[in-house]
Amino acid sequence: MAERLKPVDVVTIGVGLTGAIMAKELAASGLKVVGLERGAARQTVPDFQSPNIHDELRFAIRKALMQDNVKEAVTVRNSSDQTALPMRRWVGFLPGTGLGGSFVHWNGQTYRFQPADFVMKTHHEQRYGKNFVPAELMIQDWGVTYDELELHYDRFEYMCGTSGKAGNIKGKIQPGGNPFEGQRSRDYPTPPMKEPYYGALFRKGAESLGYHPFPQPASTLSQPYTNPEGLKLQQCVFCGFCERFACEHFAKASAQTIVLPVLMKNPNYELRTGCQVQRVNLDSTRKKATGVTYIDAAGREFEQPADLVLVTAYALNNVRLMLLSGIGKPYDPKTGEGSVGRNYAYQTVSAADIFYDQSVKINPFMASGSSGTVIDDLAGDNFDHGPHGFIGGAYIGAIMTGGRPIEFRPVPPGTPSWGAGWKKAVAENYNHTVHLTVHGSSMPARTNYLDLDPTYKDAWGQPLLRMTFDFPENDIKMSAFTTEKTAEIGRAMGGKTVSSAPRKKPYTTTVYQTTHNTGGTIMGNDPTTSVVNRYLQSWDVPNVFVVGASAFPHNASYNPTDTVGALTYWAVEAIKTKYLKSPGPLVHA
Amino acid sequence: MSCPLPLRALLLLPLGATLLCSAQGLSAAERQPDAQRGAVIAAQGTAAGAPPCAQCHAFNGVSDSSGAFPRLAAQPAYYLAKQLRDFASGTRDSAIMTPVSKALTLEEMQDVAAYYATSEAPFMPLAAGDAKLIERGRSIALKGNAAKDIQACNNCHGAEGAGEPPAIPYLAGQYAQSIVSAFDMWRSGYRKSSEGAMAVIAKQLDEQEIAAVAAYYQQVRTSAVAAQK
Repeated sequence: MAERLKPVDVVTIGVGLTGAIMAKELAASGLKVVGLERGAARQTVPDFQSPNIHDELRFAIRKALMQDNVKEAVTVRNSSDQTALPMRRWVGFLPGTGLGGSFVHWNGQTYRFQPADFVMKTHHEQRYGKNFVPAELMIQDWGVTYDELELHYDRFEYMCGTSGKAGNIKGKIQPGGNPFEGQRSRDYPTPPMKEPYYGALFRKGAESLGYHPFPQPASTLSQPYTNPEGLKLQQCVFCGFCERFACEHFAKASAQTIVLPVLMKNPNYELRTGCQVQRVNLDSTRKKATGVTYIDAAGREFEQPADLVLVTAYALNNVRLMLLSGIGKPYDPKTGEGSVGRNYAYQTVSAADIFYDQSVKINPFMASGSSGTVIDDLAGDNFDHGPHGFIGGAYIGAIMTGGRPIEFRPVPPGTPSWGAGWKKAVAENYNHTVHLTVHGSSMPARTNYLDLDPTYKDAWGQPLLRMTFDFPENDIKMSAFTTEKTAEIGRAMGGKTVSSAPRKKPYTTTVYQTTHNTGGTIMGNDPTTSVVNRYLQSWDVPNVFVVGASAFPHNASYNPTDTVGALTYWAVEAIKTKYLKSPGPLVHA
Repeated sequence: MSCPLPLRALLLLPLGATLLCSAQGLSAAERQPDAQRGAVIAAQGTAAGAPPCAQCHAFNGVSDSSGAFPRLAAQPAYYLAKQLRDFASGTRDSAIMTPVSKALTLEEMQDVAAYYATSEAPFMPLAAGDAKLIERGRSIALKGNAAKDIQACNNCHGAEGAGEPPAIPYLAGQYAQSIVSAFDMWRSGYRKSSEGAMAVIAKQLDEQEIAAVAAYYQQVRTSAVAAQK
């Protein structure tokens, strides 16, 4: 029998990027907030200190910062006529766990989505006509516009101290920045990171073909910075241990560096770690949440009553919690009805490698997770898709995230896969290879969705989340096009040989691609095709908000974090200024 | 073995970054420095007017324990040569070292740096100092000061301050007074290298913390040796 705890105003399920920011804002406005985190508490000191934090085997290979998939896995299949199997090891994507969530092991790449992304359907119909978008896709408008989100993007970037060069300030194109981006109200809080050699080589090659290279926006900071909360961040030292690792340097924006120290000082806030939330509890009308039920690390069950429940877990877990709680109607791919689990999207990532001779020394280890140089010319709808028959695109760049010895072993095609020949090729190419990333969009397809697995359960006896996903033909065409363009840039970069491979079907979780899992509790203006309204409020249960990349109706060409941050501020402002004054639906369908 | 770590911090230093990003930098780096020629400069100075380094830093680079002059022996050659270039350019502004460095050619700087980098001079046992102060310094060296968002010294300077060649000097066994003096130079603006890192840290640490860090590193090698006995 669950022990019933003293009611609070707000409970957040998960204390990562979204949970920490929302809790900070609401606790500051006087509400009693409890944060429930399933993982452990952890801080820069002592948990992220060197040399331990640079243990590549522990963190990058054995994934020490990730969700424990012995307790809680995800089952995966490519199509609904297959039987899904649980991922026993995280390889394809890496959901984080613990205080700060995936916002601890991210790379710091901080991109805004394009204005067109938020009006995806309207924009494509206007530009290309009603019959252009392939029938397999179900893109839709987000219910919020870029202009509405701009100040929230700005706020999140100033919290992170993001280093970059604006390309468009209030409609005026800025030399050196990204000329394709939506307009910004002001420049980045800190100047761009120094350009690594691989970035300089890419810049030269891309410019020679008429593209517009710019420094990748980075929340691994180019210089010391104090954010609006008064928290200090330090200058990044290019150690090359960002993705899959935590930063020992106070140089990467994370919950720990940009918000938690302020939140933890607020007496209105209580953090509880080791708490596995089982479900959101509803009253008999099923239109009102009464709180959550969780099991603590000792196995005791608690009911935490709350007036407002914020579902702020990792995107996949947000979807699972909604399904486990019975909020909203699950998506049915046969009929197309239902909304929870629909529009699951990913990222269509491919690559090209340029192999140089021994005189060109790349020093790939000298990197941050977000240093490097990119182009936006072929991302989203920045180019005319008319002749191509697909939608979406990719940003392309030399954004090597470190030359760590276990993971980084580039060899040219035709190299033996083991033995003396392989070793010789690794030694010859380690310091003489530039890796280009093609970071492609992912469009929602009718056949791709998330639901509860009928067979496999977690350590607490609840069904696992089941992912049914393969790359839509649209995205395969997009990848073929953008990867070929990337190879052209590679050939203009002066290497000996270029090898490239577009993304191919079937999707496999045995090769790392990205942890940008999106959709499933998507936002929109129509309750039949979205789970939450434009303020991320549940259509069905108005005192539940679901915050994170699970709200994305599709995944754009970019890393999702900046947009997650912007949506978080957008939603919490709506709660503060609208919902708290008059609790109830903020949008009437 | 991972080669990444030692080289990682080149980008801390603006000049290092420029070097790595330019073809000219690569070719200049390919000249082999002449440590024997460096030894002659250390002992005798140069005809152009540079005095012998040994006058203050000793021929083997241990300097003297006054701490007025830092220990040079076995510091990375890249680091030492860069300090000489910084003195010559005024990035480090010193009434003593700036004129000395200006009298050296770039090749002479490389040679003398190569000489001191290979010096195997012993670390002399030094007074251990106040145990509480050392413990405080050890804490900052290993963990930084989280309340001030200051990172641990060892994150860049290596385990127990052993250095991260080529760009980052060892601190272990450096004279406490030299470490304090380096912080003073950053605080007062005479040292403009590492503006994003060391200059900021120097201003964030208070004087007692600086004294603590310096006291810790001065004795860390000898206390490690003592512990093994």
